[in-house]
Amino acid sequence: MAQTDGDREMADATAGADANGADGEFVREKQQLRLLPGSTDTAASFAFEKEDHTLGNALRYMIMKNPDVEFCGYSIPHPSETVMNLRIQTWDNVSVFDVLRRGLSDLADLCDVVEDKFTVARDEFNTAHPDRVASK
Amino acid sequence: MDYGVDGEDTGPRVTIRRTNETTIDFMLSSTSLSLANSLRRTMLAEIPTIAIDLVEIEGNTSVLPDEFLAHRLGLIPLSTRNVEDMLYTRDCTCEEFCDNCAVILRLHAANRNSDENVKVFAKDLFAETVTGQPIQDSRYQRNGATNGFGEADELPPRGQPVIMDPKGNGSLICQLRRGQELRVRCIAKKGIAKEHAKWAPTAAIGFEYDPHNKLRHTTLWYEGDNAKEEWPESKNINWEEPAPDGEAFRYDSEPTQFYVNLEGTGVMPPDQILHAGIKTLQQKLATVIQQLSTTTDSGHELNGAAGDAGMGGMSPPDAAANGTAYGNQTTYGNQTPGYGQQTAYGGQTPAYPAPGSVYGGMGGATPYGRSGY
Repeated sequence: MAQTDGDREMADATAGADANGADGEFVREKQQLRLLPGSTDTAASFAFEKEDHTLGNALRYMIMKNPDVEFCGYSIPHPSETVMNLRIQTWDNVSVFDVLRRGLSDLADLCDVVEDKFTVARDEFNTAHPDRVASK
Repeated sequence: MDYGVDGEDTGPRVTIRRTNETTIDFMLSSTSLSLANSLRRTMLAEIPTIAIDLVEIEGNTSVLPDEFLAHRLGLIPLSTRNVEDMLYTRDCTCEEFCDNCAVILRLHAANRNSDENVKVFAKDLFAETVTGQPIQDSRYQRNGATNGFGEADELPPRGQPVIMDPKGNGSLICQLRRGQELRVRCIAKKGIAKEHAKWAPTAAIGFEYDPHNKLRHTTLWYEGDNAKEEWPESKNINWEEPAPDGEAFRYDSEPTQFYVNLEGTGVMPPDQILHAGIKTLQQKLATVIQQLSTTTDSGHELNGAAGDAGMGGMSPPDAAANGTAYGNQTTYGNQTPGYGQQTAYGGQTPAYPAPGSVYGGMGGATPYGRSGY
C-alpha cells in the first residue's frame, strides 16, 4: 500500500490514552522513529531521533546481509542535530518494515553471540590464570 | 551459531590475551567492523555510571572557586555497584531525589591550626542516605587500598568513591591553608558519557585491525623510499600473517580480526563494561523495535483514530500495562526517557504478521528474551 499523502508522521500517544485517566506521570515524548515523506512499502526512508553511527553503521551492515535488499544506506544530515536517516529499498515487493525488524533482531542476536563468546573465553582465561582473577 | 562445512564454529570468536584489574586485552574475530566499532562507541559513551551532579556548597573558604570545586567533584570516580537497579533522577517517581535515584555524599574538611596544607582527598567523602543516615558497609574497608576491582561485588557500595592508589587516599580535591574550611553536600546521579564525560566508565579503548595494512585502509606517509622502514611495528603484527611479497592486492577482503584493549577507570570491572556495552546496544535495538511496532506493515500509524478500525478500544494506560504486554521490559523502562510512551499502547496486540521473520512478536517470545530485558 503506497502512501498517498506527504509526511506520515507517527503521532505521539493519543488523546484516547489521556482521556482514559493517565496519571500525571505520563510523559509525552517526541516520536523517535519517523517515516520520511515519499516512502512506500518497498522503498522507505526512516529518521531516527537521538541516534548516530553507533546504531546506523551496525544496522546498515545487518540489513545489507539480507538478499531481499536492493539498497540500504544511512546518513547523518547534520552533526549538530542528533538525527540519523536510514533508507531501505527492497526487491520484489518485500516489505521494508519486515526487513528493518529482521535486521534489528538479527543484530540483537549477533550481540548475544558475541557476549556468550566473551563470557566463555573469559571464564576459560580465569581458570587458566587464577592468579590474575581477583584484585587482591 | 553458524557452522562451516567441517562442523566447526564459524561465528564470532573472542580470545582473551591479557588482563589485569583495570584492563582486558582481547581479540575479536569473525565479526564485522561495524559491530566492533558500534561496541567500542557504546562502551565509550553510553554505559550508565554514577557521578556527582549537583553540589550544594555550605561553606568554602579555600582558594578554589565554588564552580571549580564542583567541577572537580564531578570528576571523582564513584562506585557503580548495582547501578542497573538505580533509576535516572528524571524517571524516578519521587519529588526531587531519593535513595533510588541519587546518592548523597558529604565532605567536611578544615585546616584549623596546621601550618602545612591540609589535603582534601576523595576518601574524605562520606555517603549517606537522603534522610541523613550514613551508609556503612561492614564488608568494605575504607582504609584498604586496592589496585582495582576484578569482580563487581568487590566494588564499594554504590556511590562511594573508588580509591585505587596505594596510600588509599583517592583523588586530591583541594588543599586548605590554616583557617580555611570546606563543607559541601554532593548529589550523585546516574548518567552516560554522552551527557558529560564524567560518566565515562572507560579510561581508553585501544582498537586496531589489520596491522600489516593488507586491506589498504590506510596509506603510510614516508620520506625515503619505504614506509615500512619509517613506521614502528604494531604489537599485534605477530597475530596475523604478513602479505607475501609480490602478492596481488585483494580488493574484496574485509577486516575480521580486531585487537581491543579495554581499560576502565576503576568504577566498573572491565568485564562488566563489556557486558554493559553489549546490553546497552541491545536495548537501543529493542527501543527501535518497539517504536516500529506502532506501525502496521503498510506504514500507517496505529495510534489514535487512524488505527481504531483494526484495533478496537485501547485499554487505559496504567503502570501495570507497562510490564504485562512486554514481558520484563520494565527493567529498561527506566533507562530512556522515551518510555512514557509505553502506556499508550499497553493493551494492544501486535498487528503485524511475521512470516519468516525472526522477530516472533512482543511479550517474551523474542530471541533475545534471555538477555534479561
